[in-house]
Amino acid sequence: MALSPTQMATIVVLRVLIGWHFLYEGLSKLTTPGWSASGYLLQSRGPFASLFRGMAADPNVLSTVNQLNMWGLTAIGLGLVLGCFTRLASAAGLFVIVLFYLCTPPFVGYFYSIPTEGSYLVVNKNLVEAAALAVVLVTRSGLVAGLDRIIHGLLRRRARPAEA
Amino acid sequence: MAGEDEKADADPPGQREDESVEKKFDRRDVLRGLSTLPALGLFGYAWSRERGYQQARRAAASAGNAAAAAGQAELNVALLGVGAQGEVLLDAMLRMPGLRFRAVCDIWKEYNQRRAVNLLRKYKFEVNGYEDHREMLDKEQDLDAVVIATPDFWHAQHTVDCLRAGKHVYCEKEMSNTLEGARSMVLAARETGKLLQIGHQRRSHPRYRHCHEKLLGEARLLGRIVTVNGQWNRAVSPDLGWPERYAIPSDRLRQYGFKSMAQFRNWRWYKGLGGGPIVDLGSHQIDIFNWFLGANPSHVTASGGTDYHDPATHEWYDTVMAIYEYETKEGPARAFYQTQTTNGSQGYFENFMGDQGTLVISESEANNPGLLYRDPNAPGWDEWIRKGYVSAPGLQERKPEDEAVVLDVRESVSPDQHRVPVVLRDPYHQPHLQNFFDSIRGTAKLHCPAEVGYETAVTVLKVNEAIEAKRRLSFRAEEFRV
Repeated sequence: MALSPTQMATIVVLRVLIGWHFLYEGLSKLTTPGWSASGYLLQSRGPFASLFRGMAADPNVLSTVNQLNMWGLTAIGLGLVLGCFTRLASAAGLFVIVLFYLCTPPFVGYFYSIPTEGSYLVVNKNLVEAAALAVVLVTRSGLVAGLDRIIHGLLRRRARPAEA
Repeated sequence: MAGEDEKADADPPGQREDESVEKKFDRRDVLRGLSTLPALGLFGYAWSRERGYQQARRAAASAGNAAAAAGQAELNVALLGVGAQGEVLLDAMLRMPGLRFRAVCDIWKEYNQRRAVNLLRKYKFEVNGYEDHREMLDKEQDLDAVVIATPDFWHAQHTVDCLRAGKHVYCEKEMSNTLEGARSMVLAARETGKLLQIGHQRRSHPRYRHCHEKLLGEARLLGRIVTVNGQWNRAVSPDLGWPERYAIPSDRLRQYGFKSMAQFRNWRWYKGLGGGPIVDLGSHQIDIFNWFLGANPSHVTASGGTDYHDPATHEWYDTVMAIYEYETKEGPARAFYQTQTTNGSQGYFENFMGDQGTLVISESEANNPGLLYRDPNAPGWDEWIRKGYVSAPGLQERKPEDEAVVLDVRESVSPDQHRVPVVLRDPYHQPHLQNFFDSIRGTAKLHCPAEVGYETAVTVLKVNEAIEAKRRLSFRAEEFRV
């Protein structure tokens, strides 16, 4: 089923807003001296808790996780805002945010000391943002409004003489 | 149909129903490709506003210091040891005007030194990195001061060498892991006439100074202090690690007195290198016992051991309980101190109990930041509330959660609860460092000169001695003097 311009415009807006959020999360970590995911990882509950806590315990892994987190969030944010490699950016964003969700899932009986501004049961804003990214992933909005349209156009132009 | 045209316009090229229609790449595609670029511009604008706001907040926080430093010559500063503690000090110093960072010295060139040099270069300081402090002192002739945050067993040599090179020194506590080392530091400061501040930073904390000068001194709100207790309950934490790719080569580790990278990272637990938690944590608080009681202890009894950790890798005691006896001007007093390694509940504080009131204080703004309790039989504190020395009393009476319980009629009436109305909005170490630099400029006097740091070192190091001796040890008055 094809999307109307209004529907697609809404998805582009959604993509840019999520991108803005990722970009700021990444940049604010990059500009905070000594930022580390350690505190967040140590809060982990649920079936994957030992995995996340293990990441915090090993300085080699933690150092890599910190770098990936800071630069990854920034790159994904830029990709989503600009519509550049949109599918890759939204898939990576989806993966990262599902990890965040699994690290501190709002399941019954789990209590966290990290600040939250609402009340959640199973579904929290991470999960909602993940679902929104899934929408962005499957609709290829970068080809409508984003650098992907230019990249795609240039690649097609280059490919055409070869086809001929 | 118009609707179908719209549909074709909105769908990505790959999803069009008529895939066979090859559309030419034109200016319209470029415009649509760049259509979300303004959002990035908007983000940049919001980001720069936010950064500006944060910088303005920082500038406002240090405005008082800036005013104090205005018109004064900048001081050339070097950092000797930029591990975790050095980083804390650097963070505080970066907020202080009038400092020009010139050099960083750390044997962990691959990590600590590089990180500190890069950070300072970001702040536009032209700094040089060194591994050997003597090379730094040879080459950096213009230094006014050196801030030392190396492991305790290096403090004496580093401090003495810097003082003899004509530099003023701020040295982290514990002054030294040995009394001989601490004594050599006091003597070097005297011989050279250079300033030596020891990093017992509570001595410059405005809340502690307010309590010492106004509440205990001028107003004497606690009456006669008879008992004191303090604690630092620290949660178990894994040993410090290191990224393998940044490990220090073993020959360099040996050259600087470390057997392994694990020992280098966790030196505080090793005999001969540090002093264990009683020295790392207790030293700060026991220093306050002496300061607020206006006396050095006469005796100490202590019990301690490596009760939680593996003694092979944690040579110093993870659990220590010590009792000091004092002969103050007003009579005898006793002080209990504990530091233990289980969990961090109830945190850290010092508690002074007099016959008219109690003071609970800590360095933290979050936990136990300063509460006073006036005994109902003590004279009123109205004058001190009017002067702003203490807050108006709050409701202290506690109700049991279960309303059906019957309280014993003989229970004491709850004392009034007051707050100490002094808040520190700067990093905890900033006032002490500021006092050091102001003293170099001649506008202040050191709050913790070498002699005071030495008295605290004598008081604290004796605890480990008492644990090993398994008996009550006495202090001779002359032990505290150099």
